[in-house]
Amino acid sequence: MAQQAPGVRIDGLTVVYKTSAGELPAVRNVSLTLEPGSITGIVGESGSGKSTLALSLLNAVQPPGRIAAGSVEIDGLGDVVGLQGEELRKARGRHIGYVFQAAQNSLNPLKTVGKQLLDLGRSHGVDDLRGLVRDAKELLGRMGLDGARVLDSHQHELSGGMRQRVGIVLALVLNAHVVVLDEPTTALDMITQANILKIVREVHAERGLTTLVITHDIGVVAEVADRLAVMYGGRLVEQGPTREVLGAPRHPYTKGLIKAIPRLVGDIDEARALPGRPPTLATVPKEGCVFRERCAARLDVCDTVDPEAVADGPRVVACHAVTVKEHA
Amino acid sequence: MTIIARRLAGHLARGFVMILVVATISFFIVNNIPGDPMAARYEKLIEQGMSPEAAAQNVKVLYGFQPNGTLWQQYTDYMGGLFHLDLGVSVSRPGTPVLDVLMEATKWTILPVLAGTLLSFLVGVILGVYAAIKRKGKLGDALAISGSLLHGVPQYVLAMLLGVIFATLIPILPADGPVDILFEPGFNAAYIGSLIEHAVLPVATYALSAYGGWILAMKSSVVTVLGDDFILAAELRGMKRSIIFRYIARNAILPLFTILALSLGMLLGGAVFIEKIFNYPGLGLLLINSVNDRDYALMGGAFLLITVAVVVANIVADLFYTVIDPRVRSGEGAS
Repeated sequence: MAQQAPGVRIDGLTVVYKTSAGELPAVRNVSLTLEPGSITGIVGESGSGKSTLALSLLNAVQPPGRIAAGSVEIDGLGDVVGLQGEELRKARGRHIGYVFQAAQNSLNPLKTVGKQLLDLGRSHGVDDLRGLVRDAKELLGRMGLDGARVLDSHQHELSGGMRQRVGIVLALVLNAHVVVLDEPTTALDMITQANILKIVREVHAERGLTTLVITHDIGVVAEVADRLAVMYGGRLVEQGPTREVLGAPRHPYTKGLIKAIPRLVGDIDEARALPGRPPTLATVPKEGCVFRERCAARLDVCDTVDPEAVADGPRVVACHAVTVKEHA
Repeated sequence: MTIIARRLAGHLARGFVMILVVATISFFIVNNIPGDPMAARYEKLIEQGMSPEAAAQNVKVLYGFQPNGTLWQQYTDYMGGLFHLDLGVSVSRPGTPVLDVLMEATKWTILPVLAGTLLSFLVGVILGVYAAIKRKGKLGDALAISGSLLHGVPQYVLAMLLGVIFATLIPILPADGPVDILFEPGFNAAYIGSLIEHAVLPVATYALSAYGGWILAMKSSVVTVLGDDFILAAELRGMKRSIIFRYIARNAILPLFTILALSLGMLLGGAVFIEKIFNYPGLGLLLINSVNDRDYALMGGAFLLITVAVVVANIVADLFYTVIDPRVRSGEGAS
């Protein structure tokens, strides 16, 4: 298992969706590097483009969407955006594991988990199916489940937390070293959520993975991620080491997000909701900063010029107000 | 398995009650239809100079029926007979038990209906999958339109159309009847060939008129399954197309099996038009003739048989579902 974890470099990625109003970008010019062996968290509101970004890692943006520009380089695999047909199919599952949102039904309701595991093995030309079942049982046991019983169950016989662990097992059992978790704990209760996050952290360390976690819950990111990237309106507005970003946010949106979290101690009214609402595909401004409508630090330049992502050590921020302050 | 056994017991009990209720209702309805062929015969015999006792005896022997018993007495006799599979004696064919007449007719209905339904199910389901997958292309449109068109044409129009085309304009098929009377009944090529030749038009009509429903139902079912999360999940896990196709097909066909079983039950009674037009001596034609002949015993028997067929089809559909859908199996166990 001590294989070198692969690095992932997303560069200038733009994903557009075809609508009656033409092709609108859901993800615009996003660059993000997942360091080998790191856990990166992406946070954003619904519609910020984070799930579309996650699907891009598998070149699996669903029609009417398509990747219009950019590349996703994965070590040992090359540019995923260029893959197609059988090559792409074999990369999915084998190199990149994808874990669905817990509330979604990611299993065929008519077949037992074990039979679907065998289908997965056959799809990827695994000769030693017994060995595959053994690995899966071991992984399930590792996550505190009775492997034999789970493999013999149908989806409806499993709880949400159990399904999520099965999802993680199916993503890992073929030895994928890049793992994408899309809202892994949404719709789970707090205790199960904590369990799943613990499992994600442990399995990540044990197997030497490079992990991307998509969530709308800053708490989840704070719990597991080394690096944090904040998405808004299809743009990455800020990224950096999790502690630094949460401790000293620079982008006005990140600041607003953190201010909106109610504290366990102190007055509930200290939590301030961000005014306004996030843009949809159709209302994202064509030029200028995507966040300016809700921004407290808005400048004249924000109306016309889209702020560049500017790196400052390990931290990257795309905001005119921040850049102006630094140069002043 | 005990769950299935318990379900079966429940269904049988409910089905039994349903059959009793239908038998009762049809008994009283048939009894209240004006015009009484037995009373007519009884009076005719008396007019011919027979004593009332002898006339009553004569009628009773002929029909196995007490014409002047109270309604209640007749009802208990009828229901009591049912338990011995005795549906009484046909009025239009004196001396023949209703059950025998029904069985003879059922023989002619079941095979063509079964053949036509299974044929249309098979073709409709397969083409329905294609119509769903290619729903954005010309082929998908064409398939869906063919389904809507055939679904919209009434059965009797289709039957007459096929009859006109293949029996009159291009006379390659016999226009009516179940078999050529020239041939010796039995297991010989000429007789069986004639049977098949005569069955082509009715079977084709069943198949074509049902095909539209199947293709449309299957298409919408497949489209629904295509949008399910687990299909995308299977794709993202790199599953082979052939395996994903099987996932889609099995999940999509599930609701159609219920409709299939139910329609098999319904078709026993629903073949009226087709059998009338092709003069095919099945249950549908029997029903029409029994109405024309005011053969109340036969009518009641036919209604009952159709009810039993529907009830049985219901039970079969449900049990079948229990076998093919694991969710139903354990769902019942939990409640």
